[in-house]
Amino acid sequence: MKERVLIANRGEIALRIMEACKDLGIDYVVVYTKEDQDSLHVRLAEKKYRISDYKDMNDLLAVADEAKCTAIHPGYGFLSENYRFARRVVKRGRPLIFIGPSWEAIRDLGNKLFLKKLAKDLGIPVIPGTTEPIYNEIEAELKAEELYESLNSEGINNPSLLVKAVAGGGGMGIAEVKDLEELRPTFRKIKAYAKRLFGDEGIIIEAKIPTLQHIEVQILGSKHGEYVHFGTRNCTIQSISKQKRIEIAPGFNKESKYAFDCREAEANIINYSLKLAKYFKYDSVGTWEWLITPEGKYFLMEVNTRIQVENEISAKISFVKNKQVNLIKEQIRVAFGEKLKYSQEDITFKGVSIELRLIAEDTQRGFLPLSGTITRFKWTPKPWLTVRTHVPQDQPYTIPTQFDPNLALAIIYGNNFEEAKKRSLEFLNDIIIEGYTPKGEKLVTNIEFLKEKLEQLYQFVGS
Amino acid sequence: MKLEWHRKIKDLLDTAVYIKDIKGEKFFNISSLIEEISQVYENFYQYDSKFIENFILQTENRLNSILEEGEKSLTPYEIVKITRHPQRFTLQDILENVYDSYMELGGEEELNIDPAIVCAKAMIVRKVGNDLYFHQVMVIGHEKGHGEEFRQGGSAKPWGNEKALRYMKMAETEGIPIHFFIFTPGAYPIEDYPGAAQQIARNLYYMAKLKVPTVAFISEGGSGGAEAIGLADMRLMAEKGYYSVISPEGAAAIEAKLKEGRPPRELVEKCAKALKLTAKDNLEFGTIDRIISEPPLGARRKDYEFFRKLKFELIRATDEVVLQTRSLKFLRKYALSKQDTEDFKFYVNWDLDEDEKEILIENRYKKYKKMAQWAVCEPKSTFKTFINFSHNLSLKFKNEIKYKILKAGHRSFKKFIDELTTESSLLFKPVSDPVKTVYNLIVGKKVKTKLPAPTLTEEEISPYTSPLALEDRTVTCPEAEKYGCPDIWVPDLYGEFCGVCPNCGYHFPLEYKWYLNNIFDKNSVRTFNDNIASGNPLEFEGYAERLKAARKRTGLKSALLSFEAKIGGISLVAVMLVGEFRQGTVGVAEGEKFIRAIELAKITRRPFLALVHTTGGIRIHEGTLGLIQMPRCTMAVRDYVDAGGLYIVVYDNNSYAGPVASFLGSAPYQFALKSTRLGFAGPRVIRETTGQDVPPDYHSAKNALKRGHIQGIWDRRELRKKLFTALLTMGGKNLYYR
Amino acid sequence: MKIEYQNLNLMLQKFKANPYKIYPVLTPHTGYIKEFKVKEGDTVRGPSGKWLEKPGSPLFVLEREKNQKIIRAKINGIVQNLRTDLLNKFVEAEETILEIKHPLSQKEIISEILLSALYIIKAPETARYILSPALASRLEKQGLGKVKVKKGEEVLIMTFMKRETPIYFSEDGNFVLYYIYFTPFQLVERDQPLLGFCQEENLPYLQKIIERIKEEWSDF
Repeated sequence: MKERVLIANRGEIALRIMEACKDLGIDYVVVYTKEDQDSLHVRLAEKKYRISDYKDMNDLLAVADEAKCTAIHPGYGFLSENYRFARRVVKRGRPLIFIGPSWEAIRDLGNKLFLKKLAKDLGIPVIPGTTEPIYNEIEAELKAEELYESLNSEGINNPSLLVKAVAGGGGMGIAEVKDLEELRPTFRKIKAYAKRLFGDEGIIIEAKIPTLQHIEVQILGSKHGEYVHFGTRNCTIQSISKQKRIEIAPGFNKESKYAFDCREAEANIINYSLKLAKYFKYDSVGTWEWLITPEGKYFLMEVNTRIQVENEISAKISFVKNKQVNLIKEQIRVAFGEKLKYSQEDITFKGVSIELRLIAEDTQRGFLPLSGTITRFKWTPKPWLTVRTHVPQDQPYTIPTQFDPNLALAIIYGNNFEEAKKRSLEFLNDIIIEGYTPKGEKLVTNIEFLKEKLEQLYQFVGS
Repeated sequence: MKLEWHRKIKDLLDTAVYIKDIKGEKFFNISSLIEEISQVYENFYQYDSKFIENFILQTENRLNSILEEGEKSLTPYEIVKITRHPQRFTLQDILENVYDSYMELGGEEELNIDPAIVCAKAMIVRKVGNDLYFHQVMVIGHEKGHGEEFRQGGSAKPWGNEKALRYMKMAETEGIPIHFFIFTPGAYPIEDYPGAAQQIARNLYYMAKLKVPTVAFISEGGSGGAEAIGLADMRLMAEKGYYSVISPEGAAAIEAKLKEGRPPRELVEKCAKALKLTAKDNLEFGTIDRIISEPPLGARRKDYEFFRKLKFELIRATDEVVLQTRSLKFLRKYALSKQDTEDFKFYVNWDLDEDEKEILIENRYKKYKKMAQWAVCEPKSTFKTFINFSHNLSLKFKNEIKYKILKAGHRSFKKFIDELTTESSLLFKPVSDPVKTVYNLIVGKKVKTKLPAPTLTEEEISPYTSPLALEDRTVTCPEAEKYGCPDIWVPDLYGEFCGVCPNCGYHFPLEYKWYLNNIFDKNSVRTFNDNIASGNPLEFEGYAERLKAARKRTGLKSALLSFEAKIGGISLVAVMLVGEFRQGTVGVAEGEKFIRAIELAKITRRPFLALVHTTGGIRIHEGTLGLIQMPRCTMAVRDYVDAGGLYIVVYDNNSYAGPVASFLGSAPYQFALKSTRLGFAGPRVIRETTGQDVPPDYHSAKNALKRGHIQGIWDRRELRKKLFTALLTMGGKNLYYR
Repeated sequence: MKIEYQNLNLMLQKFKANPYKIYPVLTPHTGYIKEFKVKEGDTVRGPSGKWLEKPGSPLFVLEREKNQKIIRAKINGIVQNLRTDLLNKFVEAEETILEIKHPLSQKEIISEILLSALYIIKAPETARYILSPALASRLEKQGLGKVKVKKGEEVLIMTFMKRETPIYFSEDGNFVLYYIYFTPFQLVERDQPLLGFCQEENLPYLQKIIERIKEEWSDF
């Protein structure tokens, strides 16, 4: 029987999955909501269904059955890391293949406390702090004191602590404590906040790692016990609400100076990531996120059990038996139970790739997302440039207000960092995005912000 | 003379109308007789004296013979009609004719917090030989009024029952006996503060240990409303009264599964018979102590002979209650002596001393504990009973020693230590900290301040899959319209979500087994008294089959499970009312199991938990035998709580009526899950009684909390955690309250 | 004042000529249409009862993932353009299944006419809205038609792209809040009316208009 994939996502990732399916010779069906009817993924697909919400699993599964799909690709965001969805997909009366890791892996690796505990047991470094939720002040104070002392003994003077709601995330339910005297009131405040917002009062206390680099490891596993990595990415440049804006592969700039041996650090975090992947029999693409301090200390922060937005920059620098790799295709292949047909030795890395996220947002006003209509969208094609977008270039496009106003991803390749950077700037100076807001004002994007950040790149790293 | 005759004819007319009302128009051609009498009454002055005199004599004889005939064929439903008839005597008539003087307390007529409840200080006179003795008593009862609307037919409002309780306490302070008079079709079923159910529960809880002799007289004993002032040392009942768990109309509506409107007449009559609500039935069941006989077709306002008898019986009953606390010898002598309505042979002083008060309460406890025990269906095995008995006895002995003797000393020492430490820590706070630091320096390690305390872990619960979860389909949350909840996949809903909508927190109903498997520690639940079975003591027609079906479907023998279990290592005794078995209604078996469980908790000094999966009230098919589980179980609760027990009730789903108005509602700590509908009567009964519609959320847990009925609303997903915290927070060191 | 008596007459005439509003009933999500509970021309009613506790008339049954959902009328009216061809077919989300021709009530006519008589704040984005807390608390105390607003005052909060954005009142003059067109926390399409304001000096005149409508229009 021919496989047929339901693409349970929108925007550029839907397009990339469509492309991967086509390449693999697999059928696909897309879904869309009313706001997205002009989006490219809808225009380019033959079989499509209008649904109420990308997050409505019932609609997705009803369409999958109606369209006789055999698998579901969740993309990123929406339901991609919802283990209940993954579980239902495989456990329902008419089971489907979930293109992603097992639901158990999504659940356990997605649970930050569980991950932290497990990593500790496996000897993988994590940010120092508690691994069990704390519910009362006295215990919190004791734990904080303990943590404070142990950090001091490690030579970190006057460390700051973070009080975090277990159920929080994305900068919500988190506060810094600079002095132990502040701990109780802060704890009380966050606990009350967590109870109100998440209904769960559990709190953890962690050391605050002051300046850091955000490096991630791209992992791929198959159902046959094969595990490989596709190097690292640097995702340090983010918006104020911790959303990535520029990513670079590889994660360390070998030409830049570090206060530590960056090759050794990279090798270590890759090995630790693989260790955890093997422990879980991880059988899909996944990203292991690490924090690296200027001194070269590294801590595992979280695991993203899905394909990442920035997966393609890793693909651009990775060559399997000297051939370009496509991670989405690899992800689909392994989900259908295929073997990798290569091992780590067959993978070589060459060059540097940068991803720029073009977003309709006002970086001057706290990265305020903007809605409006795009009237002109144009760039000069280059051999070193790949642009991923769902925004049509031949007709005006209205940005839906329910989603993040992402417009396009630009993936730029260079033989080395300087070249990639130069080309990135070239692209940013070339691209034209014009449009207007509902009020009739000119639509702004984050192009200037990206330029500015690019200019600064690696000026501060490792100094 | 003429005037006298005229009045006499009016009386005859009233009697005739009364007969018609009770026995129906066709009974001995009563309608035409009424017409005849009316004719004479209206055209009185057209007839001569001779005719009138003759007419009166003849009619009187005729009516008397009809009354006699009527009495012979009296049906239970006719008795109900007698009880409700406007010509029947009311409390007002009793106050005027039985007592020698009285003063109404807390309101008069309409100017009253609740005109359906009358409280009065009254004097009752006893004649011994030529001497007159005056006894002061507190009279508390329902006033139906003779057609007075504002009396609500004797349906006490919650604050009316509160008033009753207040004057009970006053009588207790003054040390005078209380005479309760029950003339109620049922309590007024509204939840306004203090709430119908809770106030009845409070009354029962208090009456259980009222330190004065109490005598109740029942004319119309309508369910929970009757119990609110019915837990007495002696229960008298009018021969033409009824005492029932529910009105025949109410029972018929339930039997016919009616949502609206009136049930058919035949069914009502059938239910009146099936409910066994007459005085004779109740005496046989042992739910009352004595019947006060009445004239044919019942006593009416002017039956002075009846009032004389009632007065005598009230004094006699009070005497007996008092004497039971004193000397058995004298009691026997008193009982054997021939006394009549005019003269007493003895004078009995109704004041009790402290010892006698204790005996009084003990007698009361024994009386109610024994009541209806004959109806308990339990496989008899003398050996087993003996084992159980001796086991309980030894347990009791062991725990008595452990807690009563040792604990007292230990406790006072503990108290001293506590005081010392709290005081010293207050005094030395600034000093102690550096001390700790110095200590740390020397020892190099922290002083462990944490005490080994019970903790809760998830792994301790047995993995359990609800049978509801085994279906690949989705359901819609009933609140979806309001909160936009997505449809929920059934395996998720009844698995991980604990039957709770993850979006809005709506609680779907779950089977009782879920609770047993998700609240308590793994393999810690041990049920006991499983063999006590619900029976059909009234031989209610068609009920035995339904009972059998319930037993087969659930594999249970009654609606109440009693078991021992642990939560986070804390051992407790628990009961659970199971909705799957006859809607969790309470009858003899359930009451008995409840009492035995709470007694076990008492002698083993463990916390006691009542989980209400659902309760539809007292099981109507067991009549008053079910109804008296209200006072019975409440007494056991009072006993347990007074002994220092920690009693926690957790409600879910539908928790209504009798149990809530007694042994559940009297718990000091009551909590409700979000999905609970909690109250006295459901919307249909409220509409029937009050003529008012209630808002859909009238019985919601939120409103119950607002009204002060419960202490908190819990989420089912956190039930285990919440219970654990509650036990730790409210229980003492040994998890026994106080 | 934007509205003249003549205009008012015209508008009333227009409503009288066609005193209906058409409400399309869409599928909330995908699924199979299993059964129609109404026929063309049937009269249906929206939720009723003192607490709106009685649900609206059943319209059709939509089944998805073995869950049969009865879709009910949210408003009174007459069924038209019933898509009986869809019976037992798979339908996408937001497909129009039928229309309810709803006779306008006096209250609805007033709100429609006020739309052209008042100064209206429209939704700048398709988003969810709530009144600003300050305005909401004043409204609770004083009531509609009494609350004064000043230029630059925060009147609404828009929840949009996961953020909260305040909306300010931008007119000079003495305005009072006269009408609220939206339901808090519900999605409002762009350019739909949110709030209606009236200049204080025009209040008596507005009252006259309403009296006039009430005179001309009685509910049937």
